[in-house]
Amino acid sequence: MIHILFSIVTVITLYTVRHYFFTLNRLFGFQRHPYIDTDTADWPEITVLVAAHNEEKVVAHILVALMAVSYPEDKLRVIPVNDRSTDRTREIIDRFVEAYPGRIQPFHREGGKGGKAAALKDAMALVETEVILIFDADYIPGSGLIKQLVAPFFDPEVGGVMGRVVPLNVRTNLLTRLLDLERAGGYQVDQQARMNLRLVPQHGGTVAGVRLSALREIGGWNDSSLAEDTDLTFRLLLAGWQTVYQNRSECYEEVPETWPVRIRQIMRWAKGHNQALANFGFHLLFGKHLATWRERVDGIFLLGVYLMAPVTMVGWLLALAVFYQGANPLHGVIALLCFTAYAATGNFAAFFEIAAAARLDSTRQRICLLPLLVLGFLVSIVAVSRAFISQLAAPLTGAQFHWDKTERFRAPS
Amino acid sequence: MNPSLATVLLVLLAAVLFALPLLPAVHELRLKRDAEPLNVIQQYAGEIRHFAYGFRNYIEAIRQPLQHCVAEGTTATGTLPDGGEYLLLGGSDTLSLPIGGTMKEPTCRLVLAVGRDSSLPGGLTFLKEIYAAGHLVGGEESVYRAILGEKDIHLRRASKLMRWAHAVGSFRADHDCDLYGRVSSDREIELQSGCIFQRLNAPRIAMGCADVTVKPASNLPIDRQFSDRTIGRRLITGDFEIPPGEVISGNIVARGKLLIGAGARVRGSVKSSKEMVVEAGVTVEGSLISASRMHIGPRCQIRGPVISEHGILIESGTECGSAETPTTVSAPIIDVEEGGQFFGTLWARDEGLVVPRR
Repeated sequence: MIHILFSIVTVITLYTVRHYFFTLNRLFGFQRHPYIDTDTADWPEITVLVAAHNEEKVVAHILVALMAVSYPEDKLRVIPVNDRSTDRTREIIDRFVEAYPGRIQPFHREGGKGGKAAALKDAMALVETEVILIFDADYIPGSGLIKQLVAPFFDPEVGGVMGRVVPLNVRTNLLTRLLDLERAGGYQVDQQARMNLRLVPQHGGTVAGVRLSALREIGGWNDSSLAEDTDLTFRLLLAGWQTVYQNRSECYEEVPETWPVRIRQIMRWAKGHNQALANFGFHLLFGKHLATWRERVDGIFLLGVYLMAPVTMVGWLLALAVFYQGANPLHGVIALLCFTAYAATGNFAAFFEIAAAARLDSTRQRICLLPLLVLGFLVSIVAVSRAFISQLAAPLTGAQFHWDKTERFRAPS
Repeated sequence: MNPSLATVLLVLLAAVLFALPLLPAVHELRLKRDAEPLNVIQQYAGEIRHFAYGFRNYIEAIRQPLQHCVAEGTTATGTLPDGGEYLLLGGSDTLSLPIGGTMKEPTCRLVLAVGRDSSLPGGLTFLKEIYAAGHLVGGEESVYRAILGEKDIHLRRASKLMRWAHAVGSFRADHDCDLYGRVSSDREIELQSGCIFQRLNAPRIAMGCADVTVKPASNLPIDRQFSDRTIGRRLITGDFEIPPGEVISGNIVARGKLLIGAGARVRGSVKSSKEMVVEAGVTVEGSLISASRMHIGPRCQIRGPVISEHGILIESGTECGSAETPTTVSAPIIDVEEGGQFFGTLWARDEGLVVPRR
């Protein structure tokens, strides 16, 4: 038992060290933004896929925004991927198709496998351009965003691009404010540090781009994946394609406003991530492929991030058990466990990463909310652990994974 | 002390200590002093002329009075809506400028609007923006905050531009000018050796006089129909060398150093993770990307974006982009020899320098 506890503390300590390293790099290291200055070019023809499943509340906003972006009109084709919607999504999309003739090509999917990856996979039949951008329907791209996301594709090593996600509905309640802080830490510090250090920035599947030839090379969208973005990140990496992160390519999104929606969202992410760990973990670390050693190590840390929730819980239980067993004094180990759990506060971005992000974003008062991150952390640790247990039990219970669509809260246009 | 009381006090103390950090949190949650979304400017499109256009709007109110001054050949002063003072010059005589500051550092503190073709005196520091309706020639060793020219702008030797300049006509800077910030022209930018620059944008940017412009070596026309779609990618895990004179179709990615031999032609894009050296007379029909330093030899022709994460040296006679397909050259440090020619954007994040032709 004691050895298991030691192992758990070691792993959690490594994650803590990683978080500190990223934070210090972000605050004091060399910042890489190699493609952001590309403002003039012979811009390629591109396709923008807008994933929409029952998005009547938000889909009009993104289509309006996309029709106003600064990109040559004749080189930009928008394909709203209406995935079996039962609300007014189809009607709204068709209205835009009429209003902007020749610029929007709708893809109304009537049946087939559920999930975003499956919908995108079917929509690929309409895609003819080398560069594809992907947005979820609740995002609102700014005027210059498209060029910023396309620019990295002039680099022939780049297979995927990811921009920064910025919550729009911050004011709503405690949850949205905590999610705003977590997003800031995750993107402003975590993703950018991985970009700086040439590690593995993660493709987020939205505010993102992918190169068609790279996608074809790795076998297209994996419709059996619950986290098509993580799946894509690692398949590109193993095939020698880089995913780059553009911190200054910011795009508004809507974050969940109720805890049940948030819990369902994070459980889906956790299952998808764990699925990717099972699929790629061993091969990534020990296999023969084109990832560098630092990408292998960081990739494993990235894939294991959702495993840390159940591992931390087991660590706490073990520490209690060992204490009451009257084993040799373990003050050091338990202190380390407490410290690392403290450092993990804030779910994926530790509290000091979030504090650094708030400073980098020049925000001030919201940093006062840091102590309340404990609440988000506790909810996440339980939800992610539940997701892990249900995944483990799935072969016994015969439970089928299914896609949980994130509910929208915006007032319909 | 009574043990029960001590226990109660201990619990209370612990509760207070636990609650202390939550007080500012609850306060902020209640008051929402900083609850707005991060400010993402939805209209931002990275337009280099952004400040110039903003200034043109700012001075809209004085454009009619300026025309009146031009018609009358007079000068006038006044105050802009935000309280900024301005001076309108209707004639071409700029000797009447109100000069302040010290004898050593004479300054002009007014927004200056010049209605006709004019030459400004040298050695002056202009603390506010200048608007020129006609051709504008700046004096030697002057310092400018920002200039908007409706026709040509010509800065004489050793001038300094601190923020931005935009010329609807051409923009020209003589030797040893320091051009910080943004310089743009709707027609052409020409910089002489010794000029420092940061961000330049124009249909054509030439380094040095016309007589030092050297034509690229390649006589073959660049294929305008070329597309990355039709070619594959070759990934090399170490160093790579493209032999001189070779013609290669496809994208090349080298995770080590990369050398493109003299006269080679790449029908695709090229990337190196370490240093890249491009020898004389090379043609690249795609982009040129290096995660390290890049040295582009003389008389090369690059069609797509040129990006280096550390620095670029570009020798004489090299062309990046073309009039039909403008492009971007960007790096923290860019050194360009006289005779280099660019179409589109030249962006040195830290510092660019025009060096004499060797």
